[in-house]
Amino acid sequence: MMAEYDVIVVGGGHAGVEAALAVARMGKTAAIVTMDAKRLALMSCNPAIGGVGKSHVVKEIDALGGLMGEAIDATGIQFRRLNLSRGPAVWSTRAQADRIKYNDYVVDFVRRQESVDVIEGVAGEILADAGRAVGIVTEDGRRIGSRAIVIATGTFLGGLIHIGEKKIRAGRIGEKAAWELSESFRALGFEIGRLKTGTPPRIDGATIDWSRCEIQPGETPIPFFSSRSSREQFDQTPCHLTYTTAATKLLVSANFEASPIFSGQINSTGPRYCPSIEDKFFRFADKERHQIFLEPEGNGTSEVYPNGFSTALPEEIQRQAIRTVAGLEEAVVTQPGYAVEYDYCPAYQVKPTLETRRLEGLFLAGQILGTSGYEEAAGQGLIAGVNAVLQIEREPGLVLDRSEAYIGVMIDDITTHSTTEPYRLFTSRAEYRLALREDNARDRLHQYARKYRLINEAEADHFERLDQATREQIKHFQKKRVAVADLGELRARFQKRENISLEGLLKQPGITINEALPIIARFDGELSHEREVLERAAIWIRYKGYIDKQQREIEKFKRMEGAVIPADFSYDTIAGLKQEAREKFRRFRPGSLGQAGRIEGVTPGDLAVLSIHLKKWSGSGE
Amino acid sequence: MAAGRCDETIVAVITPPGEGGIAALRIAGKRSLSFLESHFRSTSEDSPQFKPFLMRYGHFVGRDGNVIDEVMAVYMPAGRSYTGLPQVEIFCHGGRQVVQLIQQQIVNDGARMSEPGEFTRLAFLSGRIDLAKAEAVAEIIAANTDSSFGAAREHLLGAYAEHVTVLREALVDIAAEIEASIDFPEEDIDAAGSRRLVEMLDRTIGSIGELVESYTGGRIIDEGYRIAIGGRPNAGKSSLFNLLLRQERALVTPTAGTTRDYLSEWIDLGGFKVNIIDTAGLRRGGGQIERAGQKSAKRIIDSSDILLWMVDLSKKNWQAELKADIKALEKTAIILLGNKIDAVPAGAEKAWQADSNNLLLTSCKTRKGIADLKKSLIVRINDKMPDLTDGLVVTSARHKQKLAVALKALRAARRKMAASESPELTAFDLRLAIGAIDEITGRIYTDEILGKIFSRFCVGK
Repeated sequence: MMAEYDVIVVGGGHAGVEAALAVARMGKTAAIVTMDAKRLALMSCNPAIGGVGKSHVVKEIDALGGLMGEAIDATGIQFRRLNLSRGPAVWSTRAQADRIKYNDYVVDFVRRQESVDVIEGVAGEILADAGRAVGIVTEDGRRIGSRAIVIATGTFLGGLIHIGEKKIRAGRIGEKAAWELSESFRALGFEIGRLKTGTPPRIDGATIDWSRCEIQPGETPIPFFSSRSSREQFDQTPCHLTYTTAATKLLVSANFEASPIFSGQINSTGPRYCPSIEDKFFRFADKERHQIFLEPEGNGTSEVYPNGFSTALPEEIQRQAIRTVAGLEEAVVTQPGYAVEYDYCPAYQVKPTLETRRLEGLFLAGQILGTSGYEEAAGQGLIAGVNAVLQIEREPGLVLDRSEAYIGVMIDDITTHSTTEPYRLFTSRAEYRLALREDNARDRLHQYARKYRLINEAEADHFERLDQATREQIKHFQKKRVAVADLGELRARFQKRENISLEGLLKQPGITINEALPIIARFDGELSHEREVLERAAIWIRYKGYIDKQQREIEKFKRMEGAVIPADFSYDTIAGLKQEAREKFRRFRPGSLGQAGRIEGVTPGDLAVLSIHLKKWSGSGE
Repeated sequence: MAAGRCDETIVAVITPPGEGGIAALRIAGKRSLSFLESHFRSTSEDSPQFKPFLMRYGHFVGRDGNVIDEVMAVYMPAGRSYTGLPQVEIFCHGGRQVVQLIQQQIVNDGARMSEPGEFTRLAFLSGRIDLAKAEAVAEIIAANTDSSFGAAREHLLGAYAEHVTVLREALVDIAAEIEASIDFPEEDIDAAGSRRLVEMLDRTIGSIGELVESYTGGRIIDEGYRIAIGGRPNAGKSSLFNLLLRQERALVTPTAGTTRDYLSEWIDLGGFKVNIIDTAGLRRGGGQIERAGQKSAKRIIDSSDILLWMVDLSKKNWQAELKADIKALEKTAIILLGNKIDAVPAGAEKAWQADSNNLLLTSCKTRKGIADLKKSLIVRINDKMPDLTDGLVVTSARHKQKLAVALKALRAARRKMAASESPELTAFDLRLAIGAIDEITGRIYTDEILGKIFSRFCVGK
């Protein structure tokens, strides 16, 4: 079959777009096959990018030349950082998007890429030849050849929407679903599972009594995501916070049975961290009220997203329930909430490069691997795109490890654990959390961005200058001493001393960076004026002790990761291995001893046996 | 880890050496059943096949066809035996020669003699027991006095493991709340500085602290109560050492085979394992060696649970020497023995007893005072012994070390909570602590924290 494109990307969501753009940046051609060319990177659920753990991924995507950060910076209507009262490792930027503008921005950006085509259609079949993916056939019979394929179908693969008893075959309300492609996966021998997610109803903001809600303004100066953004400061649009009432609890509780989540109509699992409103009242019967964030969907629309009110109750009950929420007494629902079930491929079926074990040149990314979230999807899409190109070029793939990136944590998690719910990132999933920060995403990933030509020379130079400035700033902090008498309100913390180095000030327990920086800025003189440089240097000093401590753990971790298990290693001959462990190892096919140890249910004993046999195996050269 | 090759079959006598009514041998490995079947002759007409877990009576027959002994034997299939491997146990008469003959037959068939603790290691490797249990079993095997066995058994029964698990659980709870406040900043979860969490942490720190402290008692159970015998040359140190050794049952030492420059033996004193060390050998020779000897004598004395400091009462200036020695020793756990009382003229003691009434008067020659010394030692050991009935004693140096690491991290976490430090730093210490405890039981910290969060908090916008 003739390869018309280097890579076909099935699906034009957040994963698909990053995949195609990564392919293009690496100098190859890509075609995005999607149902609607005008709906690239649409926000199917909440109109926001970032949040705890997720923002770190956006910064990582940005460091690897991806689009997400730039797109939200250009189209966001409100930006703020969560966890600012905590340490910088968990500072998390979150932005409300103008949903339509974000979508337009991405469509326009992709249109301007000469090496990316967008083809409207529904992929129905994956074509394989001699164990390799060679193209697709659309449901209307068009055959498109390629050298590699990335599948990023989101909720569209076997998508089924539930609203009360009503069932609609769709991946998103008002759209279609891809059912034939599911069959193609099964025919190729993939195991397919089913997951569920949900979305709240949308409300007409003109019908909300805002005076009954708490206002949540944006942060100034605006904390943008991307190092490539140049947007000026602007007037931000606020969000609002409100609460459910006793009447909500009563109404929802009386209608549990009417929800397909409880009636047995839906058997697949949804995410615990994003429960439907009926789930919240059911599982936490003691809790009298739940908070609802009212997020504007844009400046050009009055549509509002009531975050926290995801539901699959029948439309009429939804309308009544919404009106029990404080401030929403007169609210008009513009689109009902719903639950959506979709097919996914349990991620043990892919390698850490996201290439399927079964079919060479076939890559998966996003919800098809059991994850949830735009950011998680985009991160995988980018990795899948890069690796599709590397695979075509017969180069070793790009695998980020757990000490390098949240993207690495995520891919490692999903490829070593069974999926029990849609996977979402949290900072608590990262054992090296203090080292994986927003501020150092580029420090962590710059080498890969350069190596795979994911950023251009100017961007690379810019970062290298920033890096150099940061180092100098750190040296300055270490050298410069200031009189304690000049420390203002922080003076009391250093009573016994006359002067202190700026490093000492930054390391002082109980003083946050945000407290220290304005004071440090007063001793300006030879200090940098660049806020980013100051912040990066201050954070580096602040965490240095911990990171040095963690470094030993990371080295231990790297040693275990370095104990490679050959791809053809046979678990059948290991006599001492428990059957359960043997099955786990066969299923997840760990690439290293470290990864083997993270597979759920694997005991240290199993690992000891495996390590002994691995030594024997490599020693005997079998 | 030197676990044998998995296709090997190993054999060992699993009952203690010496004469007994019954002795037992264990064979583990692929060929264990075929080894048994080739030597076993049923005395009745039933099937020659062994059924799992069915004890059979018959004769153990040598290669030459001669009956070696009457035996009972049982076969356990792979996955259902202690080691996890196909396993056979043979019970024969306890005579030393019979046991060795049987073992030799199995070895001749191609089995390898097991290394010490190898069965347990196999059990651990095959996942039959966890690390804590494996260590407890190793302790049981090494336990050779009553009290030692008590603590080891408690370990095995899991009281200790359970206690550690409860402590770990509490830490996971605390960590979950702190993590929830970080990962869900927009939910009203107030954790980091909450009094309740601080109290929970304090309680856990207290319990782990107690465990760490119990190690002294635990170490005494495990390694023996350490008695150092010291004194100036010719005070009678070796005489006392040999006397105690002769009078009490000697124990097989856990460190047998190691060479050292001083005499160290283990005895059973009133049911306690006691390690007596004679520092006498250290003074021999002169010059550098002497100084090195003094240094290591000092080390032994410092690390002993009690020092028996011997004074030669027949020496004229012993009182002045004693005064100087006590000052130099700086040891509080000390029993002063006024030795060679037999060589002192009757009545002479009246002259000095007034200022030396804490001397225990002994004579290694006439054995005067030796029984009193032993009684007093037993009282002291008993005081040091932890209460074994709750099983909460740390006897393993490895466990103690891990618990100490956890304790240190928890204290750091506690300080941070008190200072309202950023929660991610508190979480850092908590994770270190949980990690250290996980190394005791061999568990791995996984999705538990998130599981806790979702079961406790209604999160999710």
